[in-house]
Amino acid sequence: MAAYEFIDHKFDVVVVGAGGSGLRAALGCAQAGLKTACVTKVFPTRSHTVAAQGGISASLGNMGEDDWRWHMYDTVKGSDWLGDQDAIEYLCRNAPAAVYELEHWGVPFSRTADGKIYQRAFGGMTKNYGEAPIQRTCAAADRTGHAMLHTMYGQSLAHETEFFIEYFALDLIMDEGICRGVTAWKLDDGTLHRFQAQLVILATGGYGRAYFSCTSAHTCTGDGGGMVLRAGLPLQDMEFVQFHPTGIYGAGCLITEGARGEGGYLTNSEGERFMERYAPSVKDLAPRDMVSRAMTMEIREGRGVGPKKDHIFLHLDHLDPKILAERLPGISESAKIFAGVDVTKEPIPVLPTVHYNMGGIPTNFYSEVVTKAGRDPDKVVPGLMAVGEAACVSVHGANRLGSNSLIDLVVFGRSAALRAADTIKAGATQPELKPEMTDPHLARFDRFRNADGGTSTADLRLEMQRAMQEDAAVYRTSDALKSGVKRMQDVNARKPDIKVADRSLVWNSDLMETLELDNLIGQAMVTVVGAENRKESRGAHAHEDFPDRDDKTWMKHTLTWFDEKTGKVKIDFRPVHSFTMTNDIAYIPPKARVY
Amino acid sequence: MSGFRTPLARARGLGSAKHGVGHWISERVGAVALVPLVIWGAYSVIRLAQLDYYGAAAWIASPVNATLMILTIAIGFTHMQAGLRVVIEDYIHKTLTKAALLVLNVFVAGLAGALAIMSILKVALGGA
Amino acid sequence: MAEFRLPKNSRITNGKHHPAPAGSGKTRTFKIYRYDPDSGENPRWDTYDVDLSQCGPMVLDVLIHIKNTMDPTLTFRRSCREGICGSCAMNIAGRNTLACIKGHDECPGDKVQISPLPQMAVVKDLVPDLTLFYAQYASVEPWLHTETPEPQKEWRQAPEDREKLDGLYECILCACCSTSCPSYWWNQDKYLGPAALLHAYRWIIDSRDEATGERLDELEDPFKLYRCHTIMNCAQVCPKGLNPAKAIAEVKKMLAERVV
Repeated sequence: MAAYEFIDHKFDVVVVGAGGSGLRAALGCAQAGLKTACVTKVFPTRSHTVAAQGGISASLGNMGEDDWRWHMYDTVKGSDWLGDQDAIEYLCRNAPAAVYELEHWGVPFSRTADGKIYQRAFGGMTKNYGEAPIQRTCAAADRTGHAMLHTMYGQSLAHETEFFIEYFALDLIMDEGICRGVTAWKLDDGTLHRFQAQLVILATGGYGRAYFSCTSAHTCTGDGGGMVLRAGLPLQDMEFVQFHPTGIYGAGCLITEGARGEGGYLTNSEGERFMERYAPSVKDLAPRDMVSRAMTMEIREGRGVGPKKDHIFLHLDHLDPKILAERLPGISESAKIFAGVDVTKEPIPVLPTVHYNMGGIPTNFYSEVVTKAGRDPDKVVPGLMAVGEAACVSVHGANRLGSNSLIDLVVFGRSAALRAADTIKAGATQPELKPEMTDPHLARFDRFRNADGGTSTADLRLEMQRAMQEDAAVYRTSDALKSGVKRMQDVNARKPDIKVADRSLVWNSDLMETLELDNLIGQAMVTVVGAENRKESRGAHAHEDFPDRDDKTWMKHTLTWFDEKTGKVKIDFRPVHSFTMTNDIAYIPPKARVY
Repeated sequence: MSGFRTPLARARGLGSAKHGVGHWISERVGAVALVPLVIWGAYSVIRLAQLDYYGAAAWIASPVNATLMILTIAIGFTHMQAGLRVVIEDYIHKTLTKAALLVLNVFVAGLAGALAIMSILKVALGGA
Repeated sequence: MAEFRLPKNSRITNGKHHPAPAGSGKTRTFKIYRYDPDSGENPRWDTYDVDLSQCGPMVLDVLIHIKNTMDPTLTFRRSCREGICGSCAMNIAGRNTLACIKGHDECPGDKVQISPLPQMAVVKDLVPDLTLFYAQYASVEPWLHTETPEPQKEWRQAPEDREKLDGLYECILCACCSTSCPSYWWNQDKYLGPAALLHAYRWIIDSRDEATGERLDELEDPFKLYRCHTIMNCAQVCPKGLNPAKAIAEVKKMLAERVV
């Protein structure tokens, strides 16, 4: 092995990732007087939060009466009762303050006539515990994520956050179950770095790229999840993968749910507004899992549109062009570029597309990473936190509601910072790091750097993506999932045969893609194994052989550990919290989920 | 060398000069003033071409003509100097060369302008 | 004096040719700037005959196809692939743009030439060093400045005032504009460039901001602002259809308004 040397850094807190949750956490830590580093593989405003369109949910009540309890009820119901209600209460209660904070930082929200933040309707958001759709999603046209991310980056420039940009995080530095920092590879000069910290906050986002067709960016490779698996820690509820109903057919780019929130609707080949059949009360504004299933059903039954009858139309052409220009300018542009469609005249061809991972690194609502140790299902892993899509708090349970992700980012980014300020002392002495802690990181890095097998990274990635796309889709069957497990085991077994063509250290994107693929494989593996194991249908996990929700057996979180050498996935469970955070609201007991 | 300066230090550079709007306005006012003046100047040259020496001298001696001519020259040279200055600032990056050329620009424009104005005054006030 | 030739170690040589695999459909040649800092060699032009039937419609699809099947060493930034993250800005067929929203069939000519954003130091292949560009953005203090105690709820903003931010806040910091601006080429150490100035104006014109005067003070400088000679390349190339030149003109207008 070549000799590698680390350049050392010491901080109170190291945040990995600079998307919405990473920036919010880093900012909060810096404001609390903690010496904070934010390590990110892309320049902060290139993180995938930038692509979030529709908005951020909070019960501000700017468009009529609203209550955080209603928001909580919707989120619990949306999660198909797999969400932890203490965390959901934390989220919904703190949502309005989080949005006002963003506004005070300068987010250019769209406005109502009286100058307040404009809110639009979104799927599954209702008033008075499910009565009728409500306008709860705060929007900056259809570029809310972009507006938020740029504003938060500006804000962190105003504070003392130190950024390490285009550093690719390799592995967590673990010391007998305690996280002591993270190692990273600096792309622009090829040096390796060791970031020591009292606290590491993973904000690395989802792993949408495990699938062939996704709305996620190329960089959404769930690097934090990969690191956690390698550190011998579990991931939670990974079988719940959200398909967004309206990805552009072919390109997979996102068309916001806000399009339906502003009055858009879906039709099949008969021109029928079929959602009226599937969700009579909220119609096109049903939660994403239900709309995706309805679309898949329509296509399967021969009512898809297009020459191959393999997609669905989204209509905006009945809306006032002025409204489209004001509230949905971004998707009008995307539809033009990627589908060649003028939304004022024609419908957009759309298809359910992988969009979000409800699962992730298990945490409590303080954002501390937890694992199951013996009988204790909530054992905190010292020195490690996770936020955003990388984490599973779990507020989204089996299915996330649109616009609940952006609020998740800022609420739990903030909660992580508050907890950090409570639990660590700025400048406290840190134990010396030993080479044994990082030797495996270097060995892995070197192994991939010099990998000289017969399978290119791109080929192996494609094989994984196809397996996931075909066998862990909107609808799942026992046979498909078994086949998926088998195919993923094959992919994992072929990892030693990988070939990296570029041996350099400066901006070696071939190596970076390989390291990312390694992160993806672990997560794809636990996703498909977790799905195969869960013999019920809940939220985004629609199992055709077990079409009903089974609260008696399956109202529990799946925990999965992965041993990459043997390819074995170990499964265990954590109970879903059957309590709320305070007495201001009672536990919402499960019932049938109809809209 | 500036190799180890932080990017922000480089971006901030020497800070804001907190002036420039005056130049910007005067450039535009000068340009606007030159439009009628140059038209008038072109017309005058055509007229002058038809006159003999004494006729031309008499024409210049007229207070209106002399004033307009001085204005055309003064504003024209100032404008030229400002324009050349921008060109020098844009393309010349060696401090010494740049400073020398900027000074030269002022001197040449100043000298040429002063000479022209002095000549007009001489004709206008002294008679031919 | 101004330099008109590239320094010796930056002159571009002819590199490798990568033919399309046998049995390919319709191909098109892409001529791509390659530079490997580890090799110590000069940059070079590599050419790739790409089977268009095997890849998607955008130039980014072509680059990814090359990387996946022809030459894994080709290096470029990319992320969202839908024109919102600003990673894949590069010079394609002579124009700065985003590879992900530029169709290869829109590129004129026979060969499609692809090079990094002009006049920036190249880290590797199509990856330019944008550190100074980002610092210039930071130097305009792109955050809301307020002194009045924050309200319990939102700062109110009239829809008409909010509308003034349209055409500004959408900037994705891709650097297409700044690196297409001759003024920025010659004076990037002193001139802030169209992107940073557009952002400066975005905060100046924000009705919630209380530091308009200070912001204008900081911009009033013969170089930082007034190096804009309304060449308009910025507005020509902006892949989001924004007009930085107009924003700069507005700043100049406000500065003039202040004194007359």
